[in-house]
Amino acid sequence: MTDATMPKTSGAARKTSGNGRNLDLFRVRHIPDSVESRPVPMSVTEPTSLNKPVSKSFYFWLMAPAILVLAFISIYPFFWMIYMSLHDVDIGHVEWNNFANFIKLPSDSRFLMGWVLLAEYSAMCLTLQIIIGVFLALALNGTRLEKVLVTTLLMPMMMAPLVAGMVWYFLYNGTFGWYHWLLQSLGILGAKSILASANTAMIGLVLVDVWQWTPLITLITLAGLKRVPQDQLEANMVDGASPFRNFVSVTLPNLYPVLLIAIMLRFMDNFRFIDSILVLTGGGPGNATKILPVYLFEVSFKFFKLGRGAAIALILLIVTIILGKILVRVFDRQQPSKV
Amino acid sequence: MASRDVIQYETPLSKAFRWFSAVFLAFYVVWTVLPLFVMFMSSFKDLLEAFKLPAVGDWAGVTVFFDFTPTTKHYYELFAHLGFSTYLFNSLVAAGGSALVSVVLGSMCAYSLSRIDFKGKGDLFFWIISTRMAPVVAVMVPLYWIFRQLDLVGTLPGLILAYTTFNLPFAIWILKGFFDNVPYAIEEAQMVDGATRFQALRAILPLVAPGIGAFIVLCILFAWNDYLFAAIIGSGGAKTLPAATRELVQPQNIQWGQIMAAGVVTTLPMMFLGLVIRKYLVTGLTMGAVKE
Repeated sequence: MTDATMPKTSGAARKTSGNGRNLDLFRVRHIPDSVESRPVPMSVTEPTSLNKPVSKSFYFWLMAPAILVLAFISIYPFFWMIYMSLHDVDIGHVEWNNFANFIKLPSDSRFLMGWVLLAEYSAMCLTLQIIIGVFLALALNGTRLEKVLVTTLLMPMMMAPLVAGMVWYFLYNGTFGWYHWLLQSLGILGAKSILASANTAMIGLVLVDVWQWTPLITLITLAGLKRVPQDQLEANMVDGASPFRNFVSVTLPNLYPVLLIAIMLRFMDNFRFIDSILVLTGGGPGNATKILPVYLFEVSFKFFKLGRGAAIALILLIVTIILGKILVRVFDRQQPSKV
Repeated sequence: MASRDVIQYETPLSKAFRWFSAVFLAFYVVWTVLPLFVMFMSSFKDLLEAFKLPAVGDWAGVTVFFDFTPTTKHYYELFAHLGFSTYLFNSLVAAGGSALVSVVLGSMCAYSLSRIDFKGKGDLFFWIISTRMAPVVAVMVPLYWIFRQLDLVGTLPGLILAYTTFNLPFAIWILKGFFDNVPYAIEEAQMVDGATRFQALRAILPLVAPGIGAFIVLCILFAWNDYLFAAIIGSGGAKTLPAATRELVQPQNIQWGQIMAAGVVTTLPMMFLGLVIRKYLVTGLTMGAVKE
């Protein structure tokens, strides 16, 4: 609307200012600020449209179905979750229990260990994935085979985590697993499978996660590498920097934002996906790999203590939401450079 | 203006790096492909052949792996006797249904969110995205309870609704970014030419159609690969492929040949789909934060 009326206004303004002055051939052209910046009081007719203005209700009705469905599958269950966490819930019988579900939690060693193990598991996965993933991206970037190799690396990500868990379970097997044979032949492991002893089971799980999801980090890093400004690299080289120095002081700082996103995403996924862990160890041996989501699964769907499960789920959910808040903030900071 | 290629001179360090990276790359590709290869081969092996291993430290004995007569009996067994055709159908319906519901409702919602501003939009948005990020196990506890009361446990509609918990927010979030990239001026121009609001919306659909198609595929992928919902919400009547694969593990005898065959059946279509939408994969998997 303003665009359409703009030329008219300024044209009219110039005319009025010209009329009031004597015609002087040699003068410094003088344009007072007031003319350019201030709207001239003139009756400009609004451009008329044959269409009615778009009503907000149009957008509202477009949004309503999705919001309704989402409310039914997220807000409604959320209230149920709070309700359940305050009760003893059995199939067909619900009883108020004076916050017992929550009071018991701090003294529940498996709950506390669950957090520790979750942190441990995430830390190991992330460290390995970031190091290997970034290195792979650097090795791949700009090579002739980049396209083919990236496509090859993508394959594990398309696999159902459960199937991946099954295949690795087979490979790790103490009597007929090929990876077990390999590890044994290299002298790393004894006769016991990697999943069978409490010390190594976690490493076994981490390897599966690394196998499946490192390519994601590689992909993200590759996308980031394409956006590292070449002129900065060049300027740095003209100043006599070695390739290594170039990497540390130009490439890496440019990669940080993307890597941060990658880390956050993988971290959240470690909370979300426990499919392969359920198959591989189910939390065992003992409780060595019972990270919190696995413990929650066990409490809720193995022993069907849904009230207790809801209490744990509520805490887990709150932690995730806080993490999500951080993640969204990171995303938003990314926005300007996205274009 | 910098030239496109930065010329770097060979130093001993960079040479070493190149060699090391080539070796590492080769190693990593093998490590990536090997489990898939083993799965594929084992699905054609008879039970005893799959268990053949060389002695510890006997490196020359690796050839044992290729020493078998291929058989398709596991695949036959799966579909003829174990009802995998039903499970395949369940998987297709559940994944496809939830993807369709999510993307249709999601694109409508995403379009509105991209075109108007209102108070509390940021909060609405955060609610949507946190629904997606919530741990599946945590969401499942109350969802299971509700679905039990509504008799939705073990039914396909129940499973579709359950998958929608993560697919719908995903679709809204991603597609909003897509609609943001379509200038509103196009719709304005349409309306100046006399189109109604709805017709103007229809006019920009071809611009976003490839993206919408790709995200339908991604939603299918997420739903297809899910196991937790399938195992709990779908238990009984609506077993999908991953849940059925898991059930082949019996305490007494584990049917490895069949499991591997089921793995191949579950994995191959998704790998194919992944390649089809390769262009949108990074955007999809990073929730739109990174673009290739």
